[in-house]
Amino acid sequence: MSELAKALTDLEENKVYQLVDEKIKNGVSPLDIIAECNEGMVGVGNLFSSGEYFLSQLIFSAEIFKNIMQQLEPLMPKSDAGDSASKVIIGTVKGDIHDIGKNIVANLLRGSGFDVIDLGVDVSAEKFVETVRETGARVLGLSALLNFTYPEMKNVVDALTEAGLRDKVTVIIGGAPCNEQVREFTGADYYAEDAVTGVNICKKIYQ
Amino acid sequence: MSKEIRDLYEERLGRYQATIALEKTDRMPVATGSNYFAEVYSGNTNQETIYDSEKWLKAEEIFIRDFPEVDVLRNNRIWAPLYDAVGCKTYKLPGRDLPSKTQFQFVEEEYMKADEYDILINDPVEFMMDRFLPRVLGDMAEPGSTRCRMAFLKGGMAQMMMAQVMRNRSIYLQEKLGMPQPMTGAFVAPFDVLADAMRGLRGILLDIYRQPDKVLEACDVIVHEIAHFALSTADPLKRYPIFVPTHKACFLSPKQFETFYWPSFKKTLEILINAGYTVRAYLEGDWGHHWHHFLELPKGKLILDIDNQGDIFKAYETLGKHQCLAGGIPDSMFILGTPQEMKERVKLLCETVGKEGGFIINGGCNIPYDTKPENYRAMIDAIIEYGTYDSSYKCKPKVAEPGSVEVEALNKQRMVTPWEKKLEELGNIMGEEDLIRRPWEMLESMGYNWMWQWVM
Repeated sequence: MSELAKALTDLEENKVYQLVDEKIKNGVSPLDIIAECNEGMVGVGNLFSSGEYFLSQLIFSAEIFKNIMQQLEPLMPKSDAGDSASKVIIGTVKGDIHDIGKNIVANLLRGSGFDVIDLGVDVSAEKFVETVRETGARVLGLSALLNFTYPEMKNVVDALTEAGLRDKVTVIIGGAPCNEQVREFTGADYYAEDAVTGVNICKKIYQ
Repeated sequence: MSKEIRDLYEERLGRYQATIALEKTDRMPVATGSNYFAEVYSGNTNQETIYDSEKWLKAEEIFIRDFPEVDVLRNNRIWAPLYDAVGCKTYKLPGRDLPSKTQFQFVEEEYMKADEYDILINDPVEFMMDRFLPRVLGDMAEPGSTRCRMAFLKGGMAQMMMAQVMRNRSIYLQEKLGMPQPMTGAFVAPFDVLADAMRGLRGILLDIYRQPDKVLEACDVIVHEIAHFALSTADPLKRYPIFVPTHKACFLSPKQFETFYWPSFKKTLEILINAGYTVRAYLEGDWGHHWHHFLELPKGKLILDIDNQGDIFKAYETLGKHQCLAGGIPDSMFILGTPQEMKERVKLLCETVGKEGGFIINGGCNIPYDTKPENYRAMIDAIIEYGTYDSSYKCKPKVAEPGSVEVEALNKQRMVTPWEKKLEELGNIMGEEDLIRRPWEMLESMGYNWMWQWVM
């Protein structure tokens, strides 16, 4: 693991920024810097999976990563780097306005190099379907905190079927009220118990 | 109150209190704190329940008629007209910002800036009046404006109306239907005061890395503010626990929890226990790495609601026989399950964690709005069938010394204009000073505590 990757995994915020600054000054390409950061984020995910890190550390790492990306964005070549990336659509389903869980997953996905299309909260089934059709993303993540959303998650899956897109996209559900029983009810493909599990499912799909 | 109703009330309250105290009961109580299902079952929209106190009570009456085995019903902190009077931004309410049949939802924003800790620590009054309230209460956005001054006036009046609604309801349920409350009064842990309505989750997580000492200092200040607030909203007769939902502990590592969350939370709980109260805490999310700390508090003083992400069996292994636990049924089982599944689950819980009392079967801190009535009925029937310990036994309510108790660890109630200052302004008091001082201080306290409810 490179020094930058390790500093990110260890959540040494100031050191990370300092190393990134140096690399920019030395003319290292933004894409190479991002690759190192992705490695660091994978390290954070591994520590989470092994029980050493908790949600606070996931969120903090994503916060650091976001700041780096903001710094690098203007330096990025205007290429089609985004187009070739693996796309994941994510959103909190209609009726629910909570976004903490969704944001954790979205940021972790970005940290792992995915192109995340974040539709926000209170997202209608039509919006999900439309976005799947337009972007051709192969993964759709449905988030919820409140348990009245079960029928709405099912609604999204049914709407995908109706639009003839169901076999083109893998649907993952996640959030506090979800479990296997809920997955079965909604007709989703996967239930992700935590953010890192969700990211790993996405990786598997795009392998 | 007829003797029959009084007996029923005492039987239910006695059963609930004895369970909290880990004492013998005739059976496991049916004692959810947040029974969201109750009014929905009776046909209310969520909007009606929080806006129309008559309809709220009517709905509860129907529910109690159909489910007489229920021992306590129920907590609802929100009477919406108060929230409207001041333009509270922290909640989206059914019928106002959300469809009428949806549940209310908390909206988290950064209402305190990262560089404002010193103001909060050194002068909580200035912080609340000049920074926090104008941001969180839309009608007070422009301090000093006519609309803002009017909002304070309306807010105070609405508070009194709300207190009246809650009091009347509690008395009606008690005297007409023999129904006690699961809790009265509420607060949030000092860390959550910062992490919910002030800094938000993102803000607080940055703060614990970037300015940890400030977070700790602020928590120490908030202990006293929030403990006074809790006591000001609690049941004066001390029959019912004080309620505390916990929100951000589940995001923290054990070390972060021990450093930032627990010390000030523990201190607050100790103050309330020493003041003669029990506390019902919702351990939201997975507290598996944290809950052993409740062993540090006196036995039988807390009900701990274990959420769906927590493992009820592990919780019992650690905490059972030291604090009363509630939970064990996944929310999804109420909504998507069958009566047979419910019966089997309740049987399992009764034969294991519920075997020796000190346990309440519940969903994850609530009974969901969309519960199928047949599943709720199945839960109750199974509790009666498998959770009866000794049907000949009768529980009696505990008798507490009413009135406030001086607690050494609790700082004196802070006031905007303390009596000493007022006295100085008044100069010579012609008659009895105490007759003037007591109501002065009472109103100062009420006004002061009013400010702190907006952190909830």
